[in-house]
Amino acid sequence: MNRSLLPLLLVLLSGTTRLDAQGRPLTVSGVRSLVFGAVFPGVPRTISRTDPANSGQFDLTGNKNSQVRLVFTLPAAMAGPVGATMPLAFGGGDAGYSDTQAIGSQVAFDPKQPFLATLNKNGRGSVFIGGTAQPGSSQRAGPYTGTLTLTVAYFP
Amino acid sequence: MNTASKLTLAALALSVFATAAQAQVNNASITATATVQQPINVSGAQGLNFSNVFPGIAKTVLATDGTNAGRWDVTGQASSLVNLSFTLPGNLQSGANLLPIANFTGGTNTVNNAATAAAITPSLGGSATLSGTGALFVWVGAQVNPAINQPAGVYTASVTLTVTY
Repeated sequence: MNRSLLPLLLVLLSGTTRLDAQGRPLTVSGVRSLVFGAVFPGVPRTISRTDPANSGQFDLTGNKNSQVRLVFTLPAAMAGPVGATMPLAFGGGDAGYSDTQAIGSQVAFDPKQPFLATLNKNGRGSVFIGGTAQPGSSQRAGPYTGTLTLTVAYFP
Repeated sequence: MNTASKLTLAALALSVFATAAQAQVNNASITATATVQQPINVSGAQGLNFSNVFPGIAKTVLATDGTNAGRWDVTGQASSLVNLSFTLPGNLQSGANLLPIANFTGGTNTVNNAATAAAITPSLGGSATLSGTGALFVWVGAQVNPAINQPAGVYTASVTLTVTY
């Protein structure tokens, strides 16, 4: 082996290891639940994605300035007492992405469709979501819950 | 191995690690929550009773008259605010004969006591808060104005109360 090439190869290999340590894992965390609160039979209740207290929120971390693909798994209904269900609807503008992680600065998107977002220069971003609970006129009283899942992946 | 091959090997290692770092998928969940309140139920409990009325002599039943005022009993979610609206007749009727009715008064209370009820104006509607057990009582009174030649008979009409959250 040519000795002059050996240091170069070591630099390249060590550079590879250093690059791997700098590539941050892509993570998503649930920050806040989507809270409809008190709901009355026959009266739909809508929570806006810009509601700072009641909208759902996820925070993202990853490589700075990276493009990520966001995909929601949304329930069609919430489950309640004695097997009762209450329909849950999501409109075309019920989700929003903010690269500043500010609820007042979002780009709206349809949570029923995949969405491409770009993490900020610090590798962060936030996703907000609202929706509409649709109780029937004879909706059984009691607590109802549902699960919203956000899946994220680097893109491409 | 020559120089070109070593450099290619290093470049390949770089691309492999870079690709591994990019191909990451992650997910997280949050809950959606809601609490459905008790539905509202309204029942007519007592009719507005003017009893005997004489031609040419107006007669009033006050909403505070627990015996003769009309009353509805309301149930719903404890301590909730509800809206009240009334559909009020302009006349009582006996066959083709009409007996004018007007000057409706109303009252609400979380206990069955008309005398201490909070006054409302049925023609304007109003709101009230259900009790800690989800109860509300609503009364209505009014005045009938028989003409001097009002035909004798039994005159009736409907008064409707609508309650919503």
